[in-house]
Amino acid sequence: MSTRARHAFASASETERWVLALLGVVALLLIIGLLAGGIGPAYLLYLLGLSGMYILLSIGLNVQWGYAGLINFSVAAFFGLGAYGTAMLTASNTPLGLSLSPLVGLVVGIALAAVVAVLIAVPTLRLRADYLAIASLGLAEVIRIVIQNQRGLTNGNAGLRGLPLFYAEWPRLGGVVDRLPTVLIHEVTLGPVTLLGLRLGRSVWVGTLNLLVVVGLIAAVYLVVRRLHRSPWGRLLRTIRSDEDLARALGKRTYRRKMEAFVLGSVIMAIAGVYYAHLNLFVTPQNLAPINTFYVWVAVILGGAGSNRGAVFGGFMIIAIREGTRFLGDLLPQTSGVGIAFIDATYATVAANFAATRLLAVGLLIILVIRLRPEGLLPPESELIWPPAREGADE
Amino acid sequence: MTHPRPSRLDRRTVLQYAGLAGIVGLAGCTTEQAGGDDEADADAPAEDTGPDVYRIGMVNSLTGSLADFGTYNERGVALALEDVNAAGIDGVPLEIIVEDSESLPDAGVSAAQKLVNQDQVPLIIGAVGSGVSTSIYESVIRGTDVVQLSQNSTSASLTEYPGLLRMSPPGGPQVQALADLMAEDGIGSVAVAWVNNDFGQSQRDGFVDAWDGEVAYDSPHDQEQSSYASVVAEMANSGAEAWVFLTYQEQTAAMLDDAYSNAYEAAFYGSDSAKGPSVLEGTPSGALEGMKTIEPSAAIDQANYQDFASRFESAYGEAPTSWSSFAYDCVITAALSIATADGFTGAALGETVRDVTRTPGETVTTFSAAMDVLGDEGDASSIDYDGVSGPIDFDENGDPVGSFQVFEVVDDAYVSRGTRTV
Amino acid sequence: MAVLEYLANGLVFSSIIVLASIGLSLIYSIARFANFAHGDTMTVGAYGAFVGFALIGDLGPSVLGLPVGFYLAVAVGATVAAVVAVLTQRLVYDALEIGAIGLLITSIGVAFVYRAVVILAFGTGNLRYAVPSQRPIPALVPVGVRVTTQEVAIVAVALMLVIGLHLLLRYTLLGRMMRATADNADLAQVTGIRTARITRWTWVIGAGLAGVGGVFLGLYNQVEPRMGFNILLVVFAAVILGGIGSVYGAMLGGFLIGMIDQLTPLLGDVGIPIGTEYSYAIAFVIMVVVLLVRPRGIAGGDPG
Repeated sequence: MSTRARHAFASASETERWVLALLGVVALLLIIGLLAGGIGPAYLLYLLGLSGMYILLSIGLNVQWGYAGLINFSVAAFFGLGAYGTAMLTASNTPLGLSLSPLVGLVVGIALAAVVAVLIAVPTLRLRADYLAIASLGLAEVIRIVIQNQRGLTNGNAGLRGLPLFYAEWPRLGGVVDRLPTVLIHEVTLGPVTLLGLRLGRSVWVGTLNLLVVVGLIAAVYLVVRRLHRSPWGRLLRTIRSDEDLARALGKRTYRRKMEAFVLGSVIMAIAGVYYAHLNLFVTPQNLAPINTFYVWVAVILGGAGSNRGAVFGGFMIIAIREGTRFLGDLLPQTSGVGIAFIDATYATVAANFAATRLLAVGLLIILVIRLRPEGLLPPESELIWPPAREGADE
Repeated sequence: MTHPRPSRLDRRTVLQYAGLAGIVGLAGCTTEQAGGDDEADADAPAEDTGPDVYRIGMVNSLTGSLADFGTYNERGVALALEDVNAAGIDGVPLEIIVEDSESLPDAGVSAAQKLVNQDQVPLIIGAVGSGVSTSIYESVIRGTDVVQLSQNSTSASLTEYPGLLRMSPPGGPQVQALADLMAEDGIGSVAVAWVNNDFGQSQRDGFVDAWDGEVAYDSPHDQEQSSYASVVAEMANSGAEAWVFLTYQEQTAAMLDDAYSNAYEAAFYGSDSAKGPSVLEGTPSGALEGMKTIEPSAAIDQANYQDFASRFESAYGEAPTSWSSFAYDCVITAALSIATADGFTGAALGETVRDVTRTPGETVTTFSAAMDVLGDEGDASSIDYDGVSGPIDFDENGDPVGSFQVFEVVDDAYVSRGTRTV
Repeated sequence: MAVLEYLANGLVFSSIIVLASIGLSLIYSIARFANFAHGDTMTVGAYGAFVGFALIGDLGPSVLGLPVGFYLAVAVGATVAAVVAVLTQRLVYDALEIGAIGLLITSIGVAFVYRAVVILAFGTGNLRYAVPSQRPIPALVPVGVRVTTQEVAIVAVALMLVIGLHLLLRYTLLGRMMRATADNADLAQVTGIRTARITRWTWVIGAGLAGVGGVFLGLYNQVEPRMGFNILLVVFAAVILGGIGSVYGAMLGGFLIGMIDQLTPLLGDVGIPIGTEYSYAIAFVIMVVVLLVRPRGIAGGDPG
């Protein structure tokens, strides 16, 4: 193992090791599931793609909350602006009648988000934290309502569809998903166990390429954000977060810095939105519903605010929760078999209305996590130590 | 501080060789499939053994703003499964894997992803809500052979997707019929209240296009508003002679209740979604008197519908809504499609699903009658299933035929005023 | 005249929002976080009253169009909401030593729990209270005001509760202790006030008012599981507009927001093409504008 990796492992905290181990186990299980035919490859790729989207959103929110201490409840709005920004230019049924490349859509989505971020930040950033939360939520709703009702621009409730894949117009990648053959991996029987027997068709190639796109986006964003975090700018933001008056007393222009963090975070969320538009190939005003903002917050809280690794972990967690509970419903037995009428009846209601039970489970999970580990699972620990200082100490 | 490099190189080299070995190994076990870019469904069993259960998928609104429709659907599906599994499809039972769309496009797409890519079903019944159905089609179904049959979607946008079938007739002809009816009744100006989603928007567009008179009020409302008082006040102040409700039962009931409390008077009309037990229960006696609604003509004179309705009443204590009928017919149609297809794959089902509902073929109105007619030799064109919701008869856009029935509220009950076509 | 009708609607809707906003503001001043479960607390109150009314039945004479039994059911609903809130406070919020944002997120979880339990217990459909529907008061119709006596009851009860709260805060020992704790909890404790008890009482009153608001919302509109959540944002807008932490600000904010929401049709009447689908958007924009000019809100307390 290289020096760096060995150092990282040694200095990893207890929790980090547990989390890594857990992720390792989950990854192993997924691979086994894939090979044994328990998990469809296209479905797994889709879930990973969605996780990637949530990771981007969490990183963006982390820049605002984790670094600068801004409580932003307009995540869904910026996500939507990115998605609509690109969709209005690339969808087949866009009222604007344009048909541009998704890369142009990306640029426009980012620009739109940046402009709106400034417009939202101006009245709200000087407010105290809770006001900022509610005001940002309110303004996000305004954006959603406008998008929903301005049919001439956005097609209203009917949504924008027929979006191209993100790489649809790239010189070589563009048509590759249509040209790649469908590969059948034959079943392999090892004793009692049947493995493989997979069909890798177009949806798998699309899923793979989409996954590569999001990994690329995450890597780029992660590097930029990490760089900024370690820069004087990042340090200043952390100071502002912990004690804004102190920062101001030191003569720092806190408002400007907060504004920059807000805009950066919003742009990252818009990038997630652009990716989503070209993953899902359809956008509707319901993509901007406030519940989506809450999901991203749950991801950040679970993962650990202020920490990018936490954001990555949180992104996976939220998908695991939302989609995993879908499977729980199938696993629960039909009756409780306890024999006491009240308990049986309650169990029957819970098992029969599993969707409502899932809402209950998510609510309880949020409460439990905050109760038992409020700093999240991977809070920034070593991330807060100035890297040169840490390296120096290890010598 | 520098270390000698060999350890890193070793690890990398090992990884490279491992990767290479893996690829070579995999190549040995793989074949390409001819006709590469078709997406067929996995694991189609060999024809002679056949599966021991037919599994299809369903995306339903179990929670969220359209959860009531989810319940109606569940009931229709339950009755349909009883009928199909009484004898099975040539002895093989039908099973439906249901996933929740939460009445939202994102969750609906997720549900469909799971059904199509994980459970590998060749047919899904889904979804409730035109926006959810089209999202699912665009994101998951398009480009595959999986058959999608929506139980409850009325927006005009579905007609643009021939691959997306639906059991509920498109809203367009329905609102055209409504506009004609109102014109015949001598209405000159109208206030249009439509629910702010894909369904409502589509109905409103169709109505406004079809309406020749004055539109004094034309505004959307949200499905879950905390108060409809301002909507109603505005409609009343627009001076329109008639109010048209292109929205769901709960909203219609809330608005008509408010109209009653404010003693507003107008002629009331509605599309089929604005008719139902919740509207009658939710408004005071006499508030709706004379309200006319149009709905796809359920086959109310037919024995199959009457049988269905009475079974429904004894099971659930109330008359079925058209939504339950659509869901029932979706399951029966799917079952007949499976019975006549050459294999349990999306491509095969896609070939038969339309033909079982239209001519040529002997008209049958129940699953068991259809199976009798098919016997061992019949194929999709041997039967023409006319369901409890109507003749179906999918056209090339996957839309069913619509003929409509007019209902009027008389003494707090719906009374049929005959049928009409467009 | 249409304006009078809109104003009358506004008055009734504001009453509901005021009840909810006061509750939210009270809880904020004591527990120091924005309680996102407040809307679902209203829902709990509405369903509690539904059960209560089903059990009590319509006893007694009709007061303002509602049987006395219904008023009792309102009290039941308020009690249920208060009990649930206090339990939540003891089991969940009390034990947490994290900041306001952590509590806010927790309250989102709590909101999900309330809503899920309501759906599991009652299903997803809309319910109505079994009280008779009414026609508007005949004497007022010629003037252009269309209200039923039940709507008058809503406004009257809300007014009574608001006045009662004012008297409580101003003139009773409990009220003084509540205000002291809200201003500075540590100082209050030093002077011998048992802040834990006061906190409990504030939750009871805050949630109880929310419960009453929920029942009236169910009466005015319909009872369904998402009713509280749907109105929550508007209640927040009202509280912020009035100034977080100020009960009187919340009253004013609730009144204004309720009025603005119901007066939106006026825009169409005077030719401005903004439809009622934008009414929430308008409320939020106005809130933001007020915040720009006066960051504390209209009657806002110490932002510290």
